Amino acid sequence: MNPIVIESLHKRYGAFEAVAGVSFEVPAGSICGLLGPNGSGKSTTFKCMLGLTQPGAGRISIAGGPPRPAMFDEVAFVPERSALYDRFTGADHLEMARRAFRAFDMPRAKALLDLFSLDPKKRIGKLSKGQRTAVGLVLAFAARPRIMVLDEPASGLDPIHQRAVLDLLIEAAAAGCAIVLSSHQIGQVERAADRVVVLKRGRVVLEGDLDELRGREKLVEAVFAAPVDDRRLRDDARIRRFERRGSMVRLYVHADPDGVMRDVGALGPVSLALLDQNLEELFFSAVEEPRPATLEVG
Amino acid sequence: MPGNFNVDPRSGVPLYTQLIEQVKRSIAVGALLPGERLPTVKQLAVDLTINPNTVARAYRDLERDGVIETSPGRGSFVRDGDLVQTRKTLTDVAAVALEAAVRDARAIGLDKAALQALLARIIERWYPHGDGQ
Repeated sequence: MNPIVIESLHKRYGAFEAVAGVSFEVPAGSICGLLGPNGSGKSTTFKCMLGLTQPGAGRISIAGGPPRPAMFDEVAFVPERSALYDRFTGADHLEMARRAFRAFDMPRAKALLDLFSLDPKKRIGKLSKGQRTAVGLVLAFAARPRIMVLDEPASGLDPIHQRAVLDLLIEAAAAGCAIVLSSHQIGQVERAADRVVVLKRGRVVLEGDLDELRGREKLVEAVFAAPVDDRRLRDDARIRRFERRGSMVRLYVHADPDGVMRDVGALGPVSLALLDQNLEELFFSAVEEPRPATLEVG
Repeated sequence: MPGNFNVDPRSGVPLYTQLIEQVKRSIAVGALLPGERLPTVKQLAVDLTINPNTVARAYRDLERDGVIETSPGRGSFVRDGDLVQTRKTLTDVAAVALEAAVRDARAIGLDKAALQALLARIIERWYPHGDGQ
């Protein structure tokens, strides 16, 4: 069984449905990017995975069982705001982690403090937001976990230290760690992740192997000299989203792009292009509201 | 490290496809020689800052296509390709570049006859002495 398995997860806060049927799995050695606008359910999903909150329904398996105290031998969690002791120093936190976690690697922790340019003698209360994030990351990576859950791991870090986080993630994945991370920085995710899950209002709107999505999801752009009958294209199962702006038609294709190209070509466009979609474009087309009314012209 | 691979995560092309392409190109132009050892999956993933699974997948496909061979514990090596294999690799590399060019020409509305005439002129310019180089 995969180290992380989430099945039909639901969580409601009063009338607000924060997570409404989320499912995904993360195999060992995989980095899964959890993306979505603010309030789409990312942090709630993490809280359910770690036992910080009780799910309304669904099944969660972390390291072979439901969230439980024993899993923390193998699981490291870096929350968006790390729970650190303001009056203690970085070195104090390393010492606490060494006592708490059997596998904690002290020499590595010291090297990581150095990597993030952190002064071990400085009290946490005196650190910037980015430096606090970095302390949380040092504690997580030094524990050499089998599973990592990271909520916005690069927030507040400068570009050099963001790059260091990416390198650490790649190394951990190469060592077999299963990693799930949320990030607003799509550029980071599209580099390091091999899988993505995109949430919108608590639901999964796009999910899968990132390279498969890159290979499959295409944009077909056609310009017509005269109005054409495009009704058939609007109901085509291969087309995820249809946009028309004046004489230009944009088709977001999620299956058989070559076949769609042939069919659109048969309608006699003056120009026809098949465009690749990077993760940012995929993300926006997945979370954007449909806007047919403003796009319909002619 | 032999060959200097580089992938562009921002392009919409699958990263493992990009990597396969680059290995084949390096072999085609002689930057990677038969018998030469490729970086390990971990090494290349760290060097390129991309997911190790992506590199592993590219290596698997290259092995399946007979471009490289992997022996457990020793690593991955460029295979001693025969002439047919080398020709095929060269053709694969050229096909990718030509596909993109033809696709672009079509996108801006060039018709088939015009494109064929244009290609004939370009071929003539690069192969002025007939069949040879």
